[in-house]
Amino acid sequence: MDKKGQMKIQQMAFVLVAMMVFFAMVALVYFSIRMSGLESSAVSLEEEKAKELVKKISSSAEFAFGVTDCPNCIDLDKVLILSERKSYEGFWQLDYLEVERIYPYGEGICDRTNYPDCKSIKIIDSENYGSAVSAFVSLCRWESSKDGYFKCEVGRIIASGEGLRNE
Amino acid sequence: MTFIKNNMNNRGFEMSFAWMFAIIVGAVVIFLAIYFTTQFIGTEREIQNTEAGKQIGILLNPVETSLEDAKIAKITTPLETRIYNDCLIKSGQSFGSQKIAVATASGVGEKWVEPGTASSFYNKYVFSDSVVQGKEFIVFSKPFRFPFKVADLLFVWDLGDKYCFVTPPQWMEEELDDLSPEGIKVVGNLEDCETLDIKVCFSTVSNCNIDVNMNAQSVKKNKGTTTVYFEDSLIYGAIFAEPDLYECQVKRLMSRTSELSALYYSKSSYVGSVGCGSSALHGNLLALSNSTSHFEKSFDIILSSFISNELGTQNRRLSCKLF
Repeated sequence: MDKKGQMKIQQMAFVLVAMMVFFAMVALVYFSIRMSGLESSAVSLEEEKAKELVKKISSSAEFAFGVTDCPNCIDLDKVLILSERKSYEGFWQLDYLEVERIYPYGEGICDRTNYPDCKSIKIIDSENYGSAVSAFVSLCRWESSKDGYFKCEVGRIIASGEGLRNE
Repeated sequence: MTFIKNNMNNRGFEMSFAWMFAIIVGAVVIFLAIYFTTQFIGTEREIQNTEAGKQIGILLNPVETSLEDAKIAKITTPLETRIYNDCLIKSGQSFGSQKIAVATASGVGEKWVEPGTASSFYNKYVFSDSVVQGKEFIVFSKPFRFPFKVADLLFVWDLGDKYCFVTPPQWMEEELDDLSPEGIKVVGNLEDCETLDIKVCFSTVSNCNIDVNMNAQSVKKNKGTTTVYFEDSLIYGAIFAEPDLYECQVKRLMSRTSELSALYYSKSSYVGSVGCGSSALHGNLLALSNSTSHFEKSFDIILSSFISNELGTQNRRLSCKLF
């Protein structure tokens, strides 16, 4: 085979290698963009889930105030007990879940010693959580004064979806 | 002889090494391109199916009831879709999980591929066939009370399935009449059902696909070979779900009932100390928590329902109700 022929083969080989390298680079760029898009779409799906959940959580069995027909009413006594239970860990697939009393104003995290004169009950409290969503609810509880009655106050429920974890 | 040889040489085509090299390498490049494109399409389909599974799970949230006794919604997908419904109970997991996976039909390559990665939900209970296929799905939601609200049950079927309910109880007839869910027809005689309808009979009639016995609280499926038992709104679950799936979901519901009984027991002790006495319920709350935590088969629900009914009656009598 003459030198000119060998040169042509080498040229072609180089072009092919360059083409492969080019396509590999294009694929790498595409996949890195796609992966970041996937990550953000997974996060937005989790946020969407938290939004939908926060709208409906007041009617779930563990939160609902079932004594009277009251939409968006949370049984605060039940939630206080719920916050002490470990069996519900991971159940709502959230990183943060808090029930906060807005009016009348209270201070501090609720426990059995300061309840009901407190501000909030934390049911799920991960160290790192993303953006939180909230919904207004009525917080109903048994009030022992004046011979006892069910009292409802203004509050809100705050939740944040499960973030992505490297496991 | 010389003439023939010369003639062949004149007509022959001498392929140079450069040509051979280009053809072989070109073929390899084209093969690799096709291979990676196919792989890429497969991965993209899996990603889309996984996202669709998660979205369907999220879409089911607004369908759940609040104060309503029942709710109905329709989910429409742009392409023909298969929803894979699975229920899982792992040891050490308190409430089991609802798995939802989706596969969408494609005009490129195979029409159906394996579903995307299943999304897990711990607070959902979907009753349907293990695979529901179609473009329009009906979601019917009802709360399950035992005696307090335990969860919202979701009954799913596709519009291709036509159910024919023959002489259902009056409350069910009224409920179905009010909601008018697509795909369910209520008739007085078996003859009024279409040939291809799934016939659900509530009285002893032969040639039915599903036999419901309201007195025994049981549903017979698969030509009477499988029997499952129900309580409250689980009657719809027993009708719409495959028996294995139904048993698994009921087991999950019972473990949630057990936890809720324990929660109400603690609440009762707490509010009792501040003047809202409900200690009369303690015995039955503990009994319900105990019986539902050792739940094995749907038949056990009949045994637990005695405690549940008594608990409901006791609660109604209280001046300061627990639930």
